[in-house]
Amino acid sequence: MKTIYTDALVIGGGLAGLRVAIGIRRRGHDVVVLSLVPPKRSHSAAAQGGMQASLGNSSMGQGDNEDVHFFDTVRGSDWGADQDVVRMFVNTAPKAVRELAAWGVPWNRVERGDHQSVIDGKNVTLTESEEAHGLITARNFGGTQKWRTSYVSDGTGHSMLYTMSNQAIAEDIPVHERMEAVALIHDGERCSGAVVRNLKTGELINYVAKSTCIATGGYGRLYRATTNAVINEGMGTAIALETGVAALGNMEAVQFHPTAIFPAGILVTEGCRGDGGLLLDVDGHRFMPDYEPGKKELASRDVVSRCMETHIASGKGVQSRFGEHLWLDIRLLGKKHIDTRLREVKEICNYFLGIEPADSLIPVRPAQHYSMGGVRTDFRGESPTLKGLFAAGESACWDMHGFNRLGGNSVAETVVAGMIVGEYMSDFLESSAGDITVSSALIRDAYNKQAKYMAGFGDRNRTENPLHIMREMQELMSANVAIFRNTERLSSAVEKLQQLAIRAQKISVRSSARGANPDLVAAYRVQKMIKLSLCVAQGALQREESRGAHFREDFPLRNDKDWLCRTLATWSEGATMPTLNYEPLHVNKMELPPGWRGYGVEDRVDHPDTAARQAEVDAVRAKFEGGDRFAAQEALMPYSDKLPEKLRRRNARLGEKGDTQ
Amino acid sequence: MQSANKPIPVRSAHLNRWPAWMDMAQGATGLILVLFMWTHMFLVSSILLGKDAMYFVARLFEGEPMLGKPYPILVSLFAVFILTLIVVHAVLALRKFPNSASQYRTLHQHLGNLKHADSSLWYVQVLTGFALFFLASVHLYQLITHPADIGPYASSDRVWSGRVWPLYLILLFVVELHAGIGIYRLVIKWGLFLGDNAKRNRKILHSIKWALTIFFIVLGLFTLGAYMKIGAEHADRVGERYVPSYHQTESNHQIQTDLQVESDADAESPASPH
Amino acid sequence: MSQNTKHEVSSLNTIPVKNVDGLRRLTINIFRHNPEDANSVPHMDSFVIEEADSMTLFIALNELRENQDPTLQFDFVCRAGICGSCAMLVNGRPTLACRTLTKDLPEVITLAPLPGFALIGDLSVDTGVWMRGMSERLQTWVHSQEERDFCEMEEKMEPELADKIYELERCIECGCCIAACGTAQMRPDFVGAVGINQLARFRLDPRDERTDADFYEVVGDENGVFGCMTLLGCDDMCPKSLPLAQQLAYMRRKMALAS
Repeated sequence: MKTIYTDALVIGGGLAGLRVAIGIRRRGHDVVVLSLVPPKRSHSAAAQGGMQASLGNSSMGQGDNEDVHFFDTVRGSDWGADQDVVRMFVNTAPKAVRELAAWGVPWNRVERGDHQSVIDGKNVTLTESEEAHGLITARNFGGTQKWRTSYVSDGTGHSMLYTMSNQAIAEDIPVHERMEAVALIHDGERCSGAVVRNLKTGELINYVAKSTCIATGGYGRLYRATTNAVINEGMGTAIALETGVAALGNMEAVQFHPTAIFPAGILVTEGCRGDGGLLLDVDGHRFMPDYEPGKKELASRDVVSRCMETHIASGKGVQSRFGEHLWLDIRLLGKKHIDTRLREVKEICNYFLGIEPADSLIPVRPAQHYSMGGVRTDFRGESPTLKGLFAAGESACWDMHGFNRLGGNSVAETVVAGMIVGEYMSDFLESSAGDITVSSALIRDAYNKQAKYMAGFGDRNRTENPLHIMREMQELMSANVAIFRNTERLSSAVEKLQQLAIRAQKISVRSSARGANPDLVAAYRVQKMIKLSLCVAQGALQREESRGAHFREDFPLRNDKDWLCRTLATWSEGATMPTLNYEPLHVNKMELPPGWRGYGVEDRVDHPDTAARQAEVDAVRAKFEGGDRFAAQEALMPYSDKLPEKLRRRNARLGEKGDTQ
Repeated sequence: MQSANKPIPVRSAHLNRWPAWMDMAQGATGLILVLFMWTHMFLVSSILLGKDAMYFVARLFEGEPMLGKPYPILVSLFAVFILTLIVVHAVLALRKFPNSASQYRTLHQHLGNLKHADSSLWYVQVLTGFALFFLASVHLYQLITHPADIGPYASSDRVWSGRVWPLYLILLFVVELHAGIGIYRLVIKWGLFLGDNAKRNRKILHSIKWALTIFFIVLGLFTLGAYMKIGAEHADRVGERYVPSYHQTESNHQIQTDLQVESDADAESPASPH
Repeated sequence: MSQNTKHEVSSLNTIPVKNVDGLRRLTINIFRHNPEDANSVPHMDSFVIEEADSMTLFIALNELRENQDPTLQFDFVCRAGICGSCAMLVNGRPTLACRTLTKDLPEVITLAPLPGFALIGDLSVDTGVWMRGMSERLQTWVHSQEERDFCEMEEKMEPELADKIYELERCIECGCCIAACGTAQMRPDFVGAVGINQLARFRLDPRDERTDADFYEVVGDENGVFGCMTLLGCDDMCPKSLPLAQQLAYMRRKMALAS
């Protein structure tokens, strides 16, 4: 039994995990990163369009600041977000972009003079100022009032991940590749590392750590049609759930991206629409203005995806041998724009569809894209129930996205959360809370339990194929727990998932050869995935309202009165279903009280406190009208003491001075 | 908040310049040899313009126009210089060869799998390189030892009656393939003529490479044919040296322009292929 | 407000499904070896599979694992051609399997692991460790001693330069250039196009304060830029069509001048 000791164990080598690790390392602690794949292959690389940060350099971003970013994000979340965390996020995002710029990300830059652009289907000329020339530029994304999304062509995630990973190498941070954490080591109160399986040799190893951070990304592969990479099976989230102590937040909040290539499910960036691309139906009709006269194609993703599915259901989809789809039209952007700003999209169209997007329409249909839910943490990134366990990025429910994430806020979250959680994990390590006394019996038990569990799959009485079970689960989720949900479909999904869980007990692994053993990997993963699926389906069934990406046909309104709360799922050992609890969001503390998002359905059931809080907020705003926006913010919802000290200062912009050191 | 990027590593006091110099020397010797080869081919092919033209070229390189009379030793010295370049070039190129049986096997298998034109051409270059090392050495040794034996009859006799033509025939293909591939690689290696669209321009360079090789091989075949024909016709008078027409006719025709010399020589020369 | 503008739907637009009526039975020969298993001997296994519409090697291999041989090892991550995990030899040539459509291949397909990297099992190779080693050796990160305050405005950069840097940064470390390189195959210490291109990227970047002499230190030898024999397999097989020949030449010129 091999055991490795470290101060901090970071599970996941994507943007979030690497940034956490860099933060910890710079504070002088030992850190080891575990990654299922070489870190540069992490799914962060697939983020194409960009990263939101209110730099306000480009002409269409003028007047942008943290406040506007905050409002957009909270509205996007359909008021499901933790507003303190959103504030922490928007104040740190510009710093994150600038840090990455200094580390080498070749952000696209503002170019002085006139430029042709496409807005709302029309050609327009935008003029960039001399003083902004050479600063980081931005493109338009859905659900935002300003052009705020910093980008590197359409390989933003790739550039960010390579820069981050190289920085981790520069910091000499060990990344143990092809390592999968299969269980957390804990005593019911304190997490002290993980039991890890080596995916090259099949060996089990204990990693004992004073603090552990889960940064394993989303759980998109619970669905059949997903833009997510095949490694996004939610394993980090699942091992947290299996502690029975840590809770998962808002697992039913699952985002569907409007433009996944049909039928392969490969993402084409929201930047296509942000840059002026349109959605067309079978008749070549631009249908989004019919549903969303204001934001049109650039409403938030949940809204656009629902409009698309509704439009297909109304008989306007394009028939094909694989089913129905709609068209994404980026021909109007021109070949030059596509060749320079949307080149991954072009390559994907060339290789998978055999078309040239400058000349042809792209077949698209919404597919699962993002997991708003994850390991519930406080603003510091630590689980409130399992000490020493942190989470960051998509795998966490921190919770800045609520029930719908805005495009460009995800890669931004990974880095920002990485910066913040890295600091708080370091504080934790430096405090007495970071001390551990861990008995070797605890480690041995955790190890033996996993070893026994893995060996059990070889039992001859077992008959089920793990990959077939996984396929059934994915199809079940895509059919019943997707964009449009109702009691009938959700209860049937829960029931069938429970049956699948029983069948999954009989999964047989046919090979006992040493090494990675892909059959065994699928076996233990699918059992965990069914648990996550049950959290999603049961959470969705219980939540009798529609909020953000969670849409109930039988409860079509957002209901702040009964459901302005966060779902918390835990799983007791031996249970067949998750235990759901709810954590209220407090209207009377909100800087932006619940209201209409500016797109989507306007009707809703208000919280009884909303009107009073709105009046309070209006009074404060009136008092500070035309004055210091920071003072107004401070009066409404003070948050800055929640940020690590080094991240509290104000950001400079053209025409707005920052805090100097 | 500050960027605490890693400091620039401390460099050792002296760079090892040898790898750069050897690489440049390999390229430079190769370039000189290719340019020499092409010039050489044009000069030798002067026989296609007539025996007088070839005679003139031969004497020119023995320094006659500048020094008043031919000094074949110049040819020897130049041949020694070229041989030296070849040796240097070969030694430098050898660095890159597989240096063990296992490396050779790996490379062989790799090239077989890949079926990639430019990679496979490397094989051609290795084989022609080896062949050249021996064939060119033989050729140059002959020149160094018999520098005066260059002329319309002397050379033709060597080709035909001396039975050297098979060597020259092989040498022709070998050298032009090696030179063409080598210069193409050299140009790409140092990034010349790649311009804004490197991929497209590389394709163009590839075509130019083949065009040059074919051109020189065709020119070479005609030239060798010409020498063989003269040699065959001259077989019964082996050892006789050519006397150019302008020397034969000097007494009869006192004043002639160069142009007339050339055209007359052409018209009168029975060996001319025209 | 309803916009009734019709946008032309070109007749060219159909999901490209070729061989609709004549779907083939593909024979896929796959290299098999599990180095962890002392009894495993390298060999080829042959599988037969029904071709489907728009089938990629990603779909085909997963179907084989799901229904024919659960022990089959291969690596896919993004399955969209952007992460570089799935590079392998398809009929002898290195390429990204996930975006290779079977309809573009003959009826008999031979798959082998990428040569030049440690074998993990079957088609899975350890590119990660190799690439990390390369990065450490060549120090592929921005070296800067400047201390920037990130609350202040970012440093300006010419838009064109940012584009040029991104062009070189598009490398996905898939390893195809190493598998396509005779030199790298013969000499395991050769950094290959992937390494030299990355250094070219940092040399272009004004934020990196290294001089040519610093770069020479890490790449100015026979395992670096002077080891390249210009076989050009890298340039022709790069799935991202990076201008590798040009970048190798660029670094060679700079390093020659630095010497």
